[in-house]
Amino acid sequence: MHRKKGRVSVHIDMTPMVDVIMLLLTFFMMTTQFRPPEAADLDIPTSNSEFKLPEGDVMTVMVDKDGKIYLKTDDRTRMLLTRAAADDAEKAGFRQLEEGLEMRDQNNLADILIRARVQNPKLRTVVKGDKNTPYGKFQDVMDTLQKVKITRFALVTEMERG
Amino acid sequence: MAGVDLGGGGKSHGKGAKKHKNKKRISVRIDMTPMVDVIMLLLTFFMLTTVFSTPQTMEINVPPENDTKVEVAETKLLTLRVVPDGDIYYNIGVNTPAKMTFGELQGFLVQTLAAEPGIICLLKVHRDGKYEMMVNIMDEINIAGITRFSLAPFNDADERVVQKAKGA
Repeated sequence: MHRKKGRVSVHIDMTPMVDVIMLLLTFFMMTTQFRPPEAADLDIPTSNSEFKLPEGDVMTVMVDKDGKIYLKTDDRTRMLLTRAAADDAEKAGFRQLEEGLEMRDQNNLADILIRARVQNPKLRTVVKGDKNTPYGKFQDVMDTLQKVKITRFALVTEMERG
Repeated sequence: MAGVDLGGGGKSHGKGAKKHKNKKRISVRIDMTPMVDVIMLLLTFFMLTTVFSTPQTMEINVPPENDTKVEVAETKLLTLRVVPDGDIYYNIGVNTPAKMTFGELQGFLVQTLAAEPGIICLLKVHRDGKYEMMVNIMDEINIAGITRFSLAPFNDADERVVQKAKGA
């Protein structure tokens, strides 16, 4: 007879662990909101500002690194804007994209900003620019905002890391 | 590993065993390992991709377009001119601008604010400069605690001033 130590079969019951993992998984799956596709691919600058971007009633003016301007509003305003433009597609001054409106030029922007604010006076304006956007393009947008009496706006930045 | 045991392996008991005499009870063991693996993968994926933070914003107030002139004391006006390559030319009042890099800005702002508490900062960024530089400088201004600051266009006069400073 072998004087060997009796091998104990180690059986770990994983059921509680699996339960917890399942719960976590469900939680993350339900809470995850994938970032909606943006009209412009922007690499936004960082800052240490503590103000959060409000959830609703936001009108985002995006300036990409080529100076192209996009406008993103809430769905209702967007619908009203595009419906008003449907009668007169030539004059609309913007091109409809899946994720927003692409402005044809600065003058259109002023016009559309006014119309958007008429549709929804609660809209808060935020400006989102790419890190490499030439400052001049941003300055033009800022001048336009000033012209249409949007004197309070915010710049979107990302949290500074490290 | 994790497994589900259904029914006893050898010993039969209760009515069931009596009723079905010939049927042999098979111990059903489901190996949960692959399932757990997949679940773990999914969990990691969702944990890593979930973003709890919303973007930050920086508030800007611009004056309405009527050109109101504000008189300020010369010694309280700090002008920062940013040229396309990222260098900052600073001057207080109408002094000749001096050059500094972005890295030096924070220390400089803190010092200046300590020396002159009511300082007003005027930021002029060249049209070919990057938007990021403006945001970074505004951020430094906010961190330093300078409450009064304004943006102004970088015009030809500024260009000349900077050229002169470069030459000097």
